Amino acid sequence: MHDTLVAFAKWLEGTPWGLMTRESIWAYPFVQLIHFTGLSIWLGTNFALDLRLLGVGSRRATAAQVAQELFVWNWIGFAIVLTGGFMLFSGIATAFIGNIAFQWKLGLFVPLALIWHVVVQRKAREWGQTIDTPGIARFAALTEILLWICVITAAVQIPNH
Amino acid sequence: MWEALENLGWVKTLGSTGWMYSIVAVTHYLTMFWCIGSIAVVDLRVMGIAARRRSLAELAEQLFPWVWIAFVFAIISGFLMFATDAGDWAPSKIFHVKLTFIAAAAVVAGLIQWLVPRWAQQAKIPTWAKVLALVSLLLWIGSIIWASEVPALEGLG
Repeated sequence: MHDTLVAFAKWLEGTPWGLMTRESIWAYPFVQLIHFTGLSIWLGTNFALDLRLLGVGSRRATAAQVAQELFVWNWIGFAIVLTGGFMLFSGIATAFIGNIAFQWKLGLFVPLALIWHVVVQRKAREWGQTIDTPGIARFAALTEILLWICVITAAVQIPNH
Repeated sequence: MWEALENLGWVKTLGSTGWMYSIVAVTHYLTMFWCIGSIAVVDLRVMGIAARRRSLAELAEQLFPWVWIAFVFAIISGFLMFATDAGDWAPSKIFHVKLTFIAAAAVVAGLIQWLVPRWAQQAKIPTWAKVLALVSLLLWIGSIIWASEVPALEGLG
């Protein structure tokens, strides 16, 4: 398993986009821009739904409406995050897979937060029918926010390892 | 002056205590994404390419509080990060460009918030409103690109 991962990482580093991200001083900031722009749209739309489920802020629209109207841009944001993240990873893939903070981020927190988000987004249709949301919805929304904070915390630790 | 800030007792503690600096950095990234993401959705709605079934006035009313709350936290955490290495950051030309873009983006965001109730009353959102929303998006993207260029070109951060 580990050997396959290392072989894959080495292959990624040799791909044209891997080489470009690593070797051009202009490419890296632009790839980071892609990742960060996507993260803004992704987290901005996630939090808008989570906060509505929590009942904080404007309550004129129901959580079900918020989930539905932000759905498309939420996943456009995710596609942008993934594109940028994949390119950043390709540049120094072998270093990333050996980095403990990166392992926590991509091996645990990202899958957990992502699955949690999909569940929250789907359940919001039912939890968000009325102006007031049930306790379980508030718990789920708060947990999602905390999970994304874990993801960012792990990401911030990557350069320290 | 910037060296004096960098050498304040609490700034030195912040800069040399891993977990404290991490909390500040996580706050900065989190609130920066939250702020830009919230305003971006409003901009996209003004441009007519997001949440078209939702009234613009209502969407703006829901998202603008998050824009400004997140913005304030991003500025405070950003200042703290700056303070720990103020002597090096202060003269950086690219950092100045970044701050200028952020200031311009914040002014445009305030302008959009102020104008939304008028646009919402009209049968059709005027074209110049869409142009202003696009300018807002480009200024935020510009802020991110200049933020990424500081470490790339000046070796800071």
